[in-house]
Amino acid sequence: MRNKSAILIIIICGVVAFVSCEKDLHTYLKYKDYSYSRADENGGTWQPILIDEGAAINIDEPEDISSDSYQAEISALKVSMNEIDTSQKKALAYWGNNAVVRWNEIALELIAKYNLIPGPNDDGTYTLPNPSNPNGPPSFPFAHPPYASRALAYLSVAQFDGLISAWHHKYLYNRAAPYQQDNSITFAYEPNDIPSYPSDGAVLARVSKKVLLAMFPLEGDYLQKMEDEHLESLLLSGGNVPSDIVSGITIGDEISTIALARAGNDGMKNAQTPKAISDSIKAAAFERFGWQWDNLEVPIRPVGLTPLFGKVSMWNIANVEDVRPIPPPVFDSEAFTRDVAILKDHADNMTEEKRRIANFWQDGLGTYTPPGHWNRFTNEFMVENKMNPLRSARTMAYLNMAVMDAGISCWDAKYYYHYPRPIQLIDGFKTIAGTPNFPSYTSGHSVFSAAASEVLAYIFPEKATLVRGWAEEAAISRVYGGIHWTFDATVGTDQGREVAKFTIDVAKLDGAN
Amino acid sequence: MTALLLSLFRYKRKAQIDLNILIVFLFTAVLSIGQTPTDALMMPPKNICILLSYDYGHFDRYWEGDNLRSNETIASVNRTTILPMAAVGIFDDLNFYIGLPYVKTKSSEPNGGKFEGANDFQDFMVALKYKALEKSVGSGRLSLLTTVGYSTPATNYLSDYMPYSLGFGAPEFSLRGIAQYQLSNGFYVRGMASHLWRGYTEAERDYYYNNGSFYTSLMDVPNAWNFEGVLGKWFMNNALKLELNYTGLKSTSGDNIRAYNAAQPSNKVKFDRLGISLQYYPPSLNGLGVVGYYTNVVNGLNTAKISNVGLGLTYQFNFIKNTNNEQNAQ
Repeated sequence: MRNKSAILIIIICGVVAFVSCEKDLHTYLKYKDYSYSRADENGGTWQPILIDEGAAINIDEPEDISSDSYQAEISALKVSMNEIDTSQKKALAYWGNNAVVRWNEIALELIAKYNLIPGPNDDGTYTLPNPSNPNGPPSFPFAHPPYASRALAYLSVAQFDGLISAWHHKYLYNRAAPYQQDNSITFAYEPNDIPSYPSDGAVLARVSKKVLLAMFPLEGDYLQKMEDEHLESLLLSGGNVPSDIVSGITIGDEISTIALARAGNDGMKNAQTPKAISDSIKAAAFERFGWQWDNLEVPIRPVGLTPLFGKVSMWNIANVEDVRPIPPPVFDSEAFTRDVAILKDHADNMTEEKRRIANFWQDGLGTYTPPGHWNRFTNEFMVENKMNPLRSARTMAYLNMAVMDAGISCWDAKYYYHYPRPIQLIDGFKTIAGTPNFPSYTSGHSVFSAAASEVLAYIFPEKATLVRGWAEEAAISRVYGGIHWTFDATVGTDQGREVAKFTIDVAKLDGAN
Repeated sequence: MTALLLSLFRYKRKAQIDLNILIVFLFTAVLSIGQTPTDALMMPPKNICILLSYDYGHFDRYWEGDNLRSNETIASVNRTTILPMAAVGIFDDLNFYIGLPYVKTKSSEPNGGKFEGANDFQDFMVALKYKALEKSVGSGRLSLLTTVGYSTPATNYLSDYMPYSLGFGAPEFSLRGIAQYQLSNGFYVRGMASHLWRGYTEAERDYYYNNGSFYTSLMDVPNAWNFEGVLGKWFMNNALKLELNYTGLKSTSGDNIRAYNAAQPSNKVKFDRLGISLQYYPPSLNGLGVVGYYTNVVNGLNTAKISNVGLGLTYQFNFIKNTNNEQNAQ
């Protein structure tokens, strides 16, 4: 009996202990809707990126609030709001009052979903993802860091321009939100004084769906579902009537068309070269410097990742060679010998702290990549600063333009210098991070992170020390991981800071300060 | 049998290629010894049985979802486990188990990934086995037993480093039911069913994809069912025991390994494993025993097609009188 009771108690305690430890694992940024720190009434005068000015896109003048058609919209809205169901309430809470965050998270999730490198075929060849046959296999795209930086840049720039146009028309027509006009309508979020025509949320929903669909062509059903849910939430929040939304969609359609036209001609479609071009790039580097990076996978990948990403159109730098870094050390130099010793020392004396740093910043295959990691921080900062959607889109636009320019500049250096990785030059070297399929110098993590941190330091000055420290940690993390030289990291950090200056100079003059 | 034992304790992870494998190995090793949390043997009071086993596991293919594949990035992965374990007789019907395996992993050369392997102590495990019933039924004896076990990582090994991670990196609480029927001629059959409650493991990154984004460093290691079926016989006046065993593991949730991507602790793992074990207590060496086994995963989901071979030494003695009580043990 004694034994039986003891066993029973142990079992019950064990099960209870395990069940009571259930944790809520967050799948998106949880925040309570907030009162915007400012409305940015002059936002319609800010300088957009792709269009000349906010007024460049036309929408119809709204019906007067006293019109029958508008009153009918208000009446119908009240009926819908009275019939709201549980899933609609959940959607309202999810979308919150800054959908820039949510659409960015959707982009990050799709990046992580598609950030899978194609494996070899049975015969040892590799098949590349093909946008004209997105189902593959392998499916299109392979959302590697350059691809991710570009997807995020187009998404954010298009959102920013769309919202500048929305703000222009909002304050041109000054039609107050339904909940401001009718006391019986309760807004789902913290009230604000921003006019509701056209709906900024609808601009975001349409722009984001269209840009992301172009970047992730297999995600049509998912993106349509998210757009529909977002648009419905805009109505059910009490913040918009259908005519607000229709006009927002008009702006969204126009801006996304303009953004995607640029994307179609920015050179990305040539970035993943055939082997012959890749070989000639490699031979040119060998001719110049006497070295060349080689892929060491089994079977060997015939072409590195996007050798011509360095030729893609930059956002804010006229010529990529203007920001090309100095050459890396030659093999018989003291600098190189010292670095070999450093790499070996890290490998032989791996600490938990170095391992943690290597893993925290790894952002490797199957994740949202380093550009995604910096977007994630930015989402948190925007909410912390109670930014409205327009200012959030601006933040993301400058961040992601700088990050994409950083990637382009980094890839220019990678394939111009074509410098080998540590595993190629140190005999028997082993790593705790995966060695990527492109040359070593400079480190993508370093350039992406330094550029991102500079933009964030500009927009969130109180975070400057924090984010610059993060960028340096991200850079050195690759050395701890065993896949980069220290000069890849340090020169890459300088390079990223330099690249970001060009974007920050544009931001300083856009009228938002 | 062997498999069960270990499985009891800790490991098992589903995710990676090798975690499972590891686990399996460990368990296997332990089991084969006798007096494990998953078998039907009981130690007499005041007796202690020490086991030291060496297990070598190896795989060059794994199931990515249900697709069995090879991967030259990791080539062939080796997993070596050294397991010290002790079984203590508290009462006639209550035994206590304690163990701590040391695991070392690495890829064969050459490989395309050039990844460093890992090595450290894995999970500290304890278990209590209780014999609820033993009675004559027909011409044999029926035994019913239950085991509760708990294991938790003993070191800060990184579970999110498949296929080289040492274990799934989370605490596990297990509850087992064991039934054995043994004929007087030494034949016996045994069945075991258990549920394994696994907690969270902590990665060193705070974002991962598991059929969607997760903004946390915690990964939910799926709970699992674990089954074992054993056919065995005692020979040579109970000095030699031969067992054929089947072990099954089935996660109750989790995601699949994605194409050409690393496994992770949140993966849904299933496997069917077959094994054979031989245990010998040389009558001339009082209290000493030797155990050897071989197991092979024949079917799986998100796990390695691993085969393990192990060899162990056991020594049983009465820790009060310091005399051997070997024969009583079984």
